[in-house]
Order: sequence, then structure tokens, then C-alpha cells
Amino acid sequence: MIDLQHVGLRYGEGATIMNDVSFRMQQGEMVFLTGPSGSGKSSLLRLLFMAIKPTRGLISLFGQDVSTLVRSDLPLLRRRLGVVFQDFRLLNHLNTFDNVALPLRVQGHSVDSYRQDVLDLLDWVGLKDQAYVYPEVLSGGEKQRAAIARAVISKPEILLADEPTGNVDPVLAKRLLHLFLELNRLGTTVVMATHDEALVKQGQKPILRLEAGLLKAA
Amino acid sequence: MDKPGPIIPAEAAPLRNLTVTMTVMCYLAGLAIGALILINQAVEGWTKGLAREVTVQVRLLQKQDIDEDLRKAMAILQNTQGIVSVQALDKSAGVKLLEPWLGNAKLDDLPVPRLIRVTVDEDAPPDFEVLEKNLKDHVGAASLDTHRRWQKELSRMGHTLSLLSLLILGLISASAFAIVVFAARSVLAANHDVVSVLHLVGAKDGYIARQIDQRFMATGLISGCTGVALAILTFFALSVSGNTAENGVAQASRSLLFAPGNTSVWTYAVLLCVPVAATTIAVISAKFTLIRMLKADL
Repeated sequence: MIDLQHVGLRYGEGATIMNDVSFRMQQGEMVFLTGPSGSGKSSLLRLLFMAIKPTRGLISLFGQDVSTLVRSDLPLLRRRLGVVFQDFRLLNHLNTFDNVALPLRVQGHSVDSYRQDVLDLLDWVGLKDQAYVYPEVLSGGEKQRAAIARAVISKPEILLADEPTGNVDPVLAKRLLHLFLELNRLGTTVVMATHDEALVKQGQKPILRLEAGLLKAA
Repeated sequence: MDKPGPIIPAEAAPLRNLTVTMTVMCYLAGLAIGALILINQAVEGWTKGLAREVTVQVRLLQKQDIDEDLRKAMAILQNTQGIVSVQALDKSAGVKLLEPWLGNAKLDDLPVPRLIRVTVDEDAPPDFEVLEKNLKDHVGAASLDTHRRWQKELSRMGHTLSLLSLLILGLISASAFAIVVFAARSVLAANHDVVSVLHLVGAKDGYIARQIDQRFMATGLISGCTGVALAILTFFALSVSGNTAENGVAQASRSLLFAPGNTSVWTYAVLLCVPVAATTIAVISAKFTLIRMLKADL
């Protein structure tokens, strides 16, 4: 499902971010991506959701070499991915319901077709009462749960999470971890980047450690 | 909460300045179109008048009776097919024509030529070459002036003015295109974060562009309608200003807005093309710019 072979990354003429990174994940797997700040965790996730291109090496998603994709293929591939950011990236002019429904809306689904699914999901992440409020009145944890709901509403096959517990307290971090574990149990392939060692220990999933641009299985 | 909120927030895409600028451009385009129609109407009217009439000039030659020559010329003209009426102007009419050059001086002693005003059948005009030869053969002192030189001059002037109006319309369109491109770039730059989230959730470029270019469509339509309405109001104000009999601009404006039959329908139809053109320019240039910029993003 995810296959990286000898991937290298360098931004312009700057320092090398990633050097010969290779790993493979099958459907339904979950891994923690760890490493110190600046080790390239976020860059690796950006490569996986095709926001940037590798300087060298091969990235294959769902059996497709992403370097051979034309631009018009990207949206369809991205719809098979869900992405959660540390800074949530919710749209402040849309309420929680509309933010969560965004992936379905851009696919052309009508409100009637997804209303119940979105409300059920908001209930599942504990945000049913906040469905029609705007992000600015949500707490950090609520925002993160809304961002996770947005990432999974279209039932993606792969979920990429970049420090999803970075802005929340340990209690909420644990709750969010259980959300990811539950999603993985339901069949979603999950890559969760975090530097929270305690959380990684609780998750009891394989660990990939990025250090000085190199990936090591921990 | 049945209707989802707008994907691109309205306040993040302020197109008020663009609406004002586009309205001014559409107003100028409306004036240019009005001027173009007036020029064409005037040139058509003048050339038609000139084509309807020709003039025969009978000069006074030595040892010849000018009145006799005038009678002969009149007889030839009256017997020529395609001529509707023939009217000999008296000597004073010829003298009056010379007044702009010679003043009010007594010209009785001058051999002022006599003129014959000939009205021709527009649908079946006579063969002017044959007529001229006929006049020359029988009345040596007669010459035919078909006003073709003036017709050509008027047509040339009309074409030049029409081209100038079209050039102005072209420049207005090019400027409108440029400012819409600039505005579209600004809107996209102001909403970069929203666009990047939309890309991440799998939105296609066309979908994102559609969220924005709908605003440009509304801007084009509002600007076009307002601009044309202002242009029509301007022509109306000109048409009621002063005495239309003496005021050429007022008369022209009246003929533009209140011409009988199909003429005014045609005028309004052409003016209504301005909102259509403004909307088309706004939508096409915005979409083109947005797609190009979105493609530059990953």
C-alpha cells in the first residue's frame, strides 16, 4: 500500500532532509514515525500526501508510482488519503459540520447524502454538540478531534497524522491515540508522526525512527 | 443549517474595487458603442443623400448662349431613364455658393456657371458615363458632378472613426482582462491557506476555480448592467439638453435612443452586449488565471 525506495529529499540548494529512506506498509498496518524535531517526520508525511516531490527515489501508493502521475490524477489519489495536522488546518469561516463534511463536498456529494454520516462521526469523536459552532470557539482538543473527523469522513484507506497530539494535554492525547487505534482496528492504514515517547509506548505498534535523514526500525 | 457555508469566504475576496473599475470601463464601452452607431448612421445618411442627387454644371463659353445650353442640358436629362426630377437653379443660387470665397461683392459681371439639380432613382440610377458623354456631345459647356469624390471622403472618414471606436473598445476589453487577472491573483493569494486545505482533501482545480469565478461572474454582470445603464442615461441627458434643432449632439442622442422601428431595437441590443462581454471577460480571464495559478501549486 505504501512503498518508499531509496527516497531522498532536499529543499532547493539547502541541506539534505532525507537520505535513502526505504520502508513498506501493507493494508491495515499502523506505525509510529518518531525522531527528534527537524529529523524530517513532517517532510516524510508531506511526501506521502504528495505536497512535495522527492529529490530522488521511488514513492508508490496503492501500487502507483507517484512520480508518473499527472496533475489531474492527484485529487483522486488524495481522496484515498486522510491527513491530520498538528495545527488542525480547519477553515475558520466554516462551522464544525461543514469542516468535517469538506472532503465529501469537494467530491460533489449533496448535504442530504452526507448529513447523517457527518453527525454520527461527530458523535463518535464527541463533538455532536459543537456541530454548528465555528473553530474559533473550539478548544485545542476539540479542534484536533474535528480535524481527525474531517480526515476520516470519506473513509480513506490511509490516514497520515502529523503530531496530532502535539497541542493537547496528556489525557486528551491518550483519547486521540485510542481514536487512531480504533480506526486502524477498523482497517485503516495509519502513519502517525509523533515525538511523544510515552504515547508511542502505549500504542504498542511498530516504530520507524528518523534520525539525521535516515530511517531506522526501532 | 441546510445550506453549507461558502467554501471561499466572501470577506476574503473583496471585489468592490474591481466592480467600480469594471463599471467605469463598461460605461466608457457604452459611450464608444453609442458613438460608433451614431457615426455609422450619420455616414450612411450623408452618403445616401449624396447618392440621390447629382449636379450638372453649365459654364458660360465665349460666343455661346448659356440659357440655350441650359435648356439643351435640361432636355437631355429629362429624356434620360433613371432620373426622377430635374431642377435648374437660378443664377443667384450659383452666386450664393461662391459667397464663402468671394464675399458679398457684386458678381453680376462674372461668368458664374448655372447649376441643375438632378434627383436620380436610387434603385435604377442612370448610366452616368453615358449621360456625361451625351451632355458633352450636345452641350460642350456642361459637366456632370456625381459627388462620388465626396462620398468616398465621407466613407473614409466614417471608416476611420469607426475603427477608432473599435480600437477604444479593444483597449477597454484588454484593460478589463488585465484588471480581472490581477484581482483573481489577489483573491487566490488572500485565500492560499483555504486552497491548500482544499487540495489536501482532494478538490480538483476546476472545483476550486469555480468557487471563486462565480464571484467574478456576478461582478461582470453587475458592472456591465450598471455601466450600460449609465451610458444610456448620459445619452438621454444629452438628448434633452437644449434645442434639438440647433444642438447636433442632442439631435444625435435622440436619434440613437428614440429612432423609429428596428434601428433603436438594434441600438439597445448592441448596448446590451456590454454586460454579456463584461461577464464573459470576467469569467474567462478569472478562470484562466486561477487554473494557471492552481496548477503551479502542487
